[in-house]
Amino acid sequence: MRNLLNFLIKYNYWLLFLALEALSFILLFHYNQYQESYFFNSANAVTGKIYEVSGGIASYFHLKSVNKDLLDRNMELETKIQNLEKTLKAHQVDSLELLSIERLPQGSYMLYKANVINNSLNLTDNYITIDKGWAAGIRPDMGVVDANGVVGIVYETTRNYATVISLLNSRSNISCKIVGSNYFGTLRWDHSDSQHAYLEDLPRHAQFNLGDTVVTSGYSSVFPAGIMVGTVDDMGDSNNGLSYLLKIKLATDFGRISDVRVIARKGYQQQKALEQKSIITNE
Amino acid sequence: MNDWLNKIGWAIGLVLLQVLILNNIHIGEFATPFLYIYFVLKLSSDTPRNQQMLWAFGIGLTIDIFDNTVGINAAAFVLMAFVRPTLLRLFTPRDTYDSFIPGKKVMGSASFLRYLVACVFIHHTALLTIESFSFISFGMLGLRIVLSTALTTLCIVAIEWFRK
Repeated sequence: MRNLLNFLIKYNYWLLFLALEALSFILLFHYNQYQESYFFNSANAVTGKIYEVSGGIASYFHLKSVNKDLLDRNMELETKIQNLEKTLKAHQVDSLELLSIERLPQGSYMLYKANVINNSLNLTDNYITIDKGWAAGIRPDMGVVDANGVVGIVYETTRNYATVISLLNSRSNISCKIVGSNYFGTLRWDHSDSQHAYLEDLPRHAQFNLGDTVVTSGYSSVFPAGIMVGTVDDMGDSNNGLSYLLKIKLATDFGRISDVRVIARKGYQQQKALEQKSIITNE
Repeated sequence: MNDWLNKIGWAIGLVLLQVLILNNIHIGEFATPFLYIYFVLKLSSDTPRNQQMLWAFGIGLTIDIFDNTVGINAAAFVLMAFVRPTLLRLFTPRDTYDSFIPGKKVMGSASFLRYLVACVFIHHTALLTIESFSFISFGMLGLRIVLSTALTTLCIVAIEWFRK
């Protein structure tokens, strides 16, 4: 007995070592399972504040490129408007056409502006922290886009901050389709590099070319249809040979995102509740 | 007392340096320097092992909270703090003092470098292995470990050699 006690006293650091390692792993697995533990993530008040200050400073370094993006986007929109006006004039007799254009985006979607204050590229699961939280109307599962394309989906929100699951996350899967064909697949990321992702489950009889544009399908309640995701870079077969596996060059440059918009769809909670209900009844 | 304030200051400085600057560095998408382990590397050789591990746990967990990787840095850092005294004994020349702060002057450049690389390698192996838990690409993982170890070692050597 005394020997045992002496042994324990002499090697007490083993006990502390095992206890601390156990604690770390419990936290690791607990955090992966439950989303409630937001004390331990970068959306909590202290870390959020620090990231906000540093993000505010860092955003100045990107001003030049952001400006260039905005100008490009502006130009693109102006040409679009001109084209639309041209089409409108050509169809002035047909008032139905006009109605359908007007009805399209307004009403069903709301946009919120937010700034990225923290961002990572090299982890297995990358998250982005933005400086708007539920006080500004942000809720989990809303879509996030920037001027170039899709960025990710809101994961957790606190009062003034929110974390976003970026496309560069093993948990991210977004329903996408190739412009021109209506076949859709799921976009996933394989941890290899921050500029490419893979489109899975596209049926074998789908037709497309390298360089085709990939956009959101609109089948999920998160993103409206037709938001830019990227372009087809390379094609191959999936492991089981039943579908295509496409390498997609992402339109968003995750290395320098700073201004993003959060998309809220009116009534998406109703759609979600309905889908949840049908899953339960199926089981 | 003064010593504790000094240590806490160092800890906060290293954490901020890590989360605000170094975590954004990915050379070739592979190598990231993890400089915060410098704190435990420079603790005096007669610091109780338990105290070293508690420092490591505290700093590791703080980094984790900033990084949304709760538990990963803490686990790897505690492991490094746990094996450090053994490595230190292993690589120290016999005729050094009982209590010293590891450095190239006290230990000699070669022994210090060996001690440094061993500690960094253990920490990075644990960290990156836990981090990529679900991935099977060993080649990629090995490459990340080796390159990050080289980068962190280089940074610490630079600091160590410039601090005199």
